[in-house]
Amino acid sequence: MAVNEMPGGQFFLAKLDDVARWAQSSSVWPLTMGLACCAIEMMTATASEYDIARFGSEVFRASPRQADLMIVSGRVAQKMAPVVRRLWEQMADPKWVISMGACASSGGVFDNYAIVQGVDTIVPVDVYVPGCPPTPDGLLYAVNLIQQQIRQGGRGGILARA
Amino acid sequence: MPSSQTPPAGSTALDPTAVRPDIADARIIRVTPAEVRATLERLKGEGFAMLLDIGGADYPGREPRFDVVYHLIALASDARTVAAVGKPERVRVLCGVTENEAVVPTMTDLWPAADWAEREVYDLFGISFSGHPDLRRIQMPVEWEGYPLRKDYPLRGPAREKTPRPSFALKSNVAAGTPASGKTAAALQRQIAAARGQIVKDETK
Amino acid sequence: MTTSAGVPAAHGLDIVDTGDGRMIISMGPQHPSTHGVLQVITELEGETVVRAEPEIGYLHTGIEKSAENLFWTQASTVIERMDYLSPLSNACCFIMGVEQLLGITGDIPVRAQQARVMLCELHRIASHCVWLGTGGIDLGAISGFFYAFDLRERILDLTELSGGARMHPNYLRIGGMRDDLPAGFLGKVDELIAMYYPRMRELRALLQKNPILQDRMIDVGILSAEDAIAWGITGPALRATGVPYDVRRAFPYSGYEQYEFDVVTRTEGDAYARFMVRLDEMDQSMRIIEQVRKQLDTPGPVMIADTKFAPPPKETIALSMEALIHHFKIVSESFRVPPGDVYQPIEGPRGELGYYIVSNGDNRPWRVRTRPPSMYNLQVLKKIAVGEYIADMVVMIGSLDPVFGEVDR
Repeated sequence: MAVNEMPGGQFFLAKLDDVARWAQSSSVWPLTMGLACCAIEMMTATASEYDIARFGSEVFRASPRQADLMIVSGRVAQKMAPVVRRLWEQMADPKWVISMGACASSGGVFDNYAIVQGVDTIVPVDVYVPGCPPTPDGLLYAVNLIQQQIRQGGRGGILARA
Repeated sequence: MPSSQTPPAGSTALDPTAVRPDIADARIIRVTPAEVRATLERLKGEGFAMLLDIGGADYPGREPRFDVVYHLIALASDARTVAAVGKPERVRVLCGVTENEAVVPTMTDLWPAADWAEREVYDLFGISFSGHPDLRRIQMPVEWEGYPLRKDYPLRGPAREKTPRPSFALKSNVAAGTPASGKTAAALQRQIAAARGQIVKDETK
Repeated sequence: MTTSAGVPAAHGLDIVDTGDGRMIISMGPQHPSTHGVLQVITELEGETVVRAEPEIGYLHTGIEKSAENLFWTQASTVIERMDYLSPLSNACCFIMGVEQLLGITGDIPVRAQQARVMLCELHRIASHCVWLGTGGIDLGAISGFFYAFDLRERILDLTELSGGARMHPNYLRIGGMRDDLPAGFLGKVDELIAMYYPRMRELRALLQKNPILQDRMIDVGILSAEDAIAWGITGPALRATGVPYDVRRAFPYSGYEQYEFDVVTRTEGDAYARFMVRLDEMDQSMRIIEQVRKQLDTPGPVMIADTKFAPPPKETIALSMEALIHHFKIVSESFRVPPGDVYQPIEGPRGELGYYIVSNGDNRPWRVRTRPPSMYNLQVLKKIAVGEYIADMVVMIGSLDPVFGEVDR
């Protein structure tokens, strides 16, 4: 992107992809996919001490149609797995997924019959956040990584297909 | 994960509920499924107005195999001061249920609180409650097979029982069976030397 | 299960015109009210709820089965994750139950008991902060969320300072605590006490006296004392109907008999009464914290001296063979608990949390049955929602304050 002097004034030239990615990465709106303890830390990340809104995630949308980012925060039980999958399918492209916490990433402490051993067995994940639960700082870093991925045109970019 | 040095199970009790340690937590009553309904009706009439919980337990080493445990407390709904509540009496009714005839009468008409509790015992142990208005699985999906909290149900479920632990080993980006490259030791030595500030001639790169 | 119109409700709702103007909708398990994964299958006539069937199990974690496969010393880690808003309360209850089976309840050092009370009350306030903040958000009162969560941050700071983690620190152990409260902890408690009362005044001004909140909560979800007892309701929801049952008073544990606090009750039994009971309960918790704070000035041991149960202090491991062996044994294969069963209740933030623990003499629990207060509290939604508006469903769920880690386990 560059500012050019031309007859008639200054023009700001950039590639459309870059502008689109800048806009997308600056306004990533997460879906409220709070499942368990990690959901509480996700809510804390929206509160005043950690404030995810300063990174562009101004609102958490309850409707998957209006959300860009699914933060799977918590353990995914057998009954909940088809629901997570259906919600991910209902999200409009481009979409990204953060697997927050040990349980969402790999089953965590619960290597048993009831918990899906990693949400990446159901939906494709872009960033994994370790922790049980991760501190809200960890989640904010994950959102930053998603923003980097968007700016570099990673999966989910404007021209990519899921 | 318990270690390989877990002590042998020879000195364990097959029926822990028969051992009465010196703990005054509740009055204990043991009944059969034929008596349980009458016992609980009598207890409710005696003032045990609140059903706290219904739980199940599995003791495969003894006959009857299962226990359905009812916890009651004598709370009066017209108590309005802490002194009136006092120290309410507790009672624990243990109903032994055999594996072949795993049926117990429902208590939902005595206490509406019993509804979900009985569904959970059915879901996780497979004990039916005759007369329950809506006996179906509550925690597991409706189509789940097996009763997870039984002792013969594997912890990780029948599908994953034999897969190796931990599961992230299955997600490695190195294909299973890849032979060792033989370069790791040398790479490690180089790293250590670099950390110590020594220059090492790079032969194996 | 079928609705009154004969239409099957639950998985895979089909669109069927029953001709009587009734609508069956599925609220959840994904919905904006941030209470967790609950599905309420609601049958509506216009906007009035005719029938409400909560569907749970969307967070079933198999914690009880996991606990059966972990050592006694490890089981409290998974049990902490049930009621994840006040993790140390769960741990405290389970640990006290095991101590009863071991017969060492009288040997727990006084300082450990005081610290347990302090941490449980801190976590009660933290849990009520989440309830207050999210309850406000449900009604559109979003500012209260930020104030309440900031108060919770101070408490999580204390949890992290003492236990090492903001949530689930695994700090309370069988026999006492892992190690003593660190230097500076009591100073930070004093800071919390100082900032608590002005903050609660702000929150009360924002919420309690707000006419919109009062309009939305008064006379909504009324529960009578008889119904509460019949449905197994405990905790603030029961006390809001008039019955002052508090396990800390009726069956005192961990030294609660020495602290002065009121058991807060109301008689109306509606959502506003439950709201007020919890707010006043937060103040009573702070009252207890102030009393314990003075006691904690006195130093003392925090772990039982018997090294069969308590890992010996790390300094002694290099010097004493017995200490080394005891430490190795406890960590690699835990101690064995004599056979028997016990029911240990405590007053959790949601009501009577109880653990029915069965030991067969082995080094792992045989059965850990939770008495989940949230499950019984939530069940009564089937009764109190009938006749209310669908818009009040969120208010009622919030006023019952369920935590799904506990409901589903």
